[in-house]
Amino acid sequence: MSKADLAQGKVIRMSLLFRVQHLLLTVLLLVLALTGFALMYHENALAQAIIRFEGGVQNRGVVHRIAAVLLMANMAYHIFYMLLSREGRAEFRDFLVSRKDIDEFLQSLRYNVGMTSEYPRFGRYGFKEKFQYWGTSVGILLIAFTGFMLWAETFSMRVFPKFVLDLALIIHGYQGLLGFLLLFLWHVYNVHFAPSVFPMNPSWITGKVSAEWLRREHPLEYEKLKGEGLL
Amino acid sequence: MIRCFLVAALAAAALLTAGPAGAAAPSVGECLDCHGDKSIEMTTPGGQTVSLHVDLEEYRRSVHGGGSCVTCHTDAKSPHERLAKVNCGRCHGDAAKSYASSSHGKLRAKGVADVPACHDCHGKHGIRKSKDPAARTFHLNIAAACLRCHKDRAIERKYGLPGEKEMIGYERSVHGLASKGGQMGSAVCPDCHGNHTILPGDNPKSATNRQNIPTLCGKCHTGILDKYERSVHAKGMRAGIAESPVCTDCHGEHTISKVSDPNSPVAARNIPKTCSRCHDKEGISSRYALPKKRFSSYMDSFHGIAVEYGMTKAANCASCHGVHDILPSSDPASTVNKANLPNTCGRCHPKAGPNFAKGPVHVEITPSKSLGVFAIRVFYTLFISALVILFVLHVGLEMYGRWNRRRKGGAEGKGSPK
Repeated sequence: MSKADLAQGKVIRMSLLFRVQHLLLTVLLLVLALTGFALMYHENALAQAIIRFEGGVQNRGVVHRIAAVLLMANMAYHIFYMLLSREGRAEFRDFLVSRKDIDEFLQSLRYNVGMTSEYPRFGRYGFKEKFQYWGTSVGILLIAFTGFMLWAETFSMRVFPKFVLDLALIIHGYQGLLGFLLLFLWHVYNVHFAPSVFPMNPSWITGKVSAEWLRREHPLEYEKLKGEGLL
Repeated sequence: MIRCFLVAALAAAALLTAGPAGAAAPSVGECLDCHGDKSIEMTTPGGQTVSLHVDLEEYRRSVHGGGSCVTCHTDAKSPHERLAKVNCGRCHGDAAKSYASSSHGKLRAKGVADVPACHDCHGKHGIRKSKDPAARTFHLNIAAACLRCHKDRAIERKYGLPGEKEMIGYERSVHGLASKGGQMGSAVCPDCHGNHTILPGDNPKSATNRQNIPTLCGKCHTGILDKYERSVHAKGMRAGIAESPVCTDCHGEHTISKVSDPNSPVAARNIPKTCSRCHDKEGISSRYALPKKRFSSYMDSFHGIAVEYGMTKAANCASCHGVHDILPSSDPASTVNKANLPNTCGRCHPKAGPNFAKGPVHVEITPSKSLGVFAIRVFYTLFISALVILFVLHVGLEMYGRWNRRRKGGAEGKGSPK
């Protein structure tokens, strides 16, 4: 954290590497959703327009798989980074789910219905971020697994009966829908429309949030940084 | 004894026919004294002026050119008044008989003037053998002869005929184009409709009657007819089931085009729609105890979507079920019989073995047909709905809490979040 940042009351929340990973994830997921849902809802006129825009069914598949491979590369890099680098390991520990998260979730409910006046004291990541992170990760792994099954059709057809591939296909599609809704409703609400960040939490671009926001939303993290003399 | 009688009868006949004709009949030269004049003409009772000129050269080159005028114009004398109509049937008895039984002949007999008589197709003095490329009835010329009337909108309408679209369709069809291109093997009008015995298709005796269509097409497409005869469609058709398709139901009639033509009903991309004209009908599925939803389940599969978007190497109905020799899956010889499925799938997917062919191919998402897929869809639908509802509730709750705290006023002060 530079002195200029501190003078403006800014705190780094997303390092450059994470921002790049996040941006890649955003773009690739959008491409995958656009190409994937066009096929899933192929009887819809908009979907048909999208397939034509993508250059037909065959090209749609090529675009979808290129994006999928890039996403897998991004995921693989992310996993290695989270497990092997010093910064990643710290992040990973912050993302681990514990009993505390459930308590905090319940407390936030009580706080909102007015049963308590104390807002949960979140650490670096609260239940919203953890739910988002693990939900998306598990979803992507499931989609990736079924996606590879469908892609490697020659192999799959030798190993699996057709109904297994029918199952893989429907899981792939609906898990995609689930993930898409999770990201578009939960994530976009939390980082854009929630009153504390409206119109946008800028950290995905600048990497920074205001110290004041951190103090309100993630007081434990705020105090930790302060204790380390970083604020 | 019998021989003596026959000789006597023949001699008598010769005397009777040759005698009087020989006495008064003018020679060709005598006829041409008048009819060789290009300006000779007459006015019909209807007021039309008709040329009476006969081109000797044309006549001499015709198939009858070695004969004489009176062979046909039996009542011709020199000079003469209006002659009786020529009766071709005097010599061409068989043709006259079959013509009389045709639609053209029947109407003609009733005195309808705008249906063709012999000369309308064959010509008058210049008649040539149909093998002669200059003949009107030559294989490559005959379509033009038929279309002279059958492209006439007034005639088409008057007799409730299929209309000029069909006729123009023929000219653009694979048969019409081949004929135009000079292919002697091309199908021209009389190849299907017959020549003298032309009858409308709804007449059971017509060559183009439904029940006769496969045999008719099989005249040229022999190998395909053999295959068709083995199919369930042929079985139904031979049993007199009118819903069972014959060649024209899939291929079209006059407009028949090549499989490679994207507008053909049997082009890869159009096959699903063509088959489902019957197979997506509730009545047909019920009457013949066929599985339902074949079209929609196919169109929802990757094969269906791919074909719909023009990726025609993906499987269409015919890729798995066969083309002319379609059999029900219960038949051991059917390409979609359980035992043959690995082989059928394997034609495109070489590694898809017996293991792959387990379970239904057309996926209908119902508990009885594809329970697994159905269950997963229900699970996700409920899960996603629940998640969206919970999410909306959560946002609502956050909004409510915020509003509530604001309402209670500044008690929370600036320090508290939100």
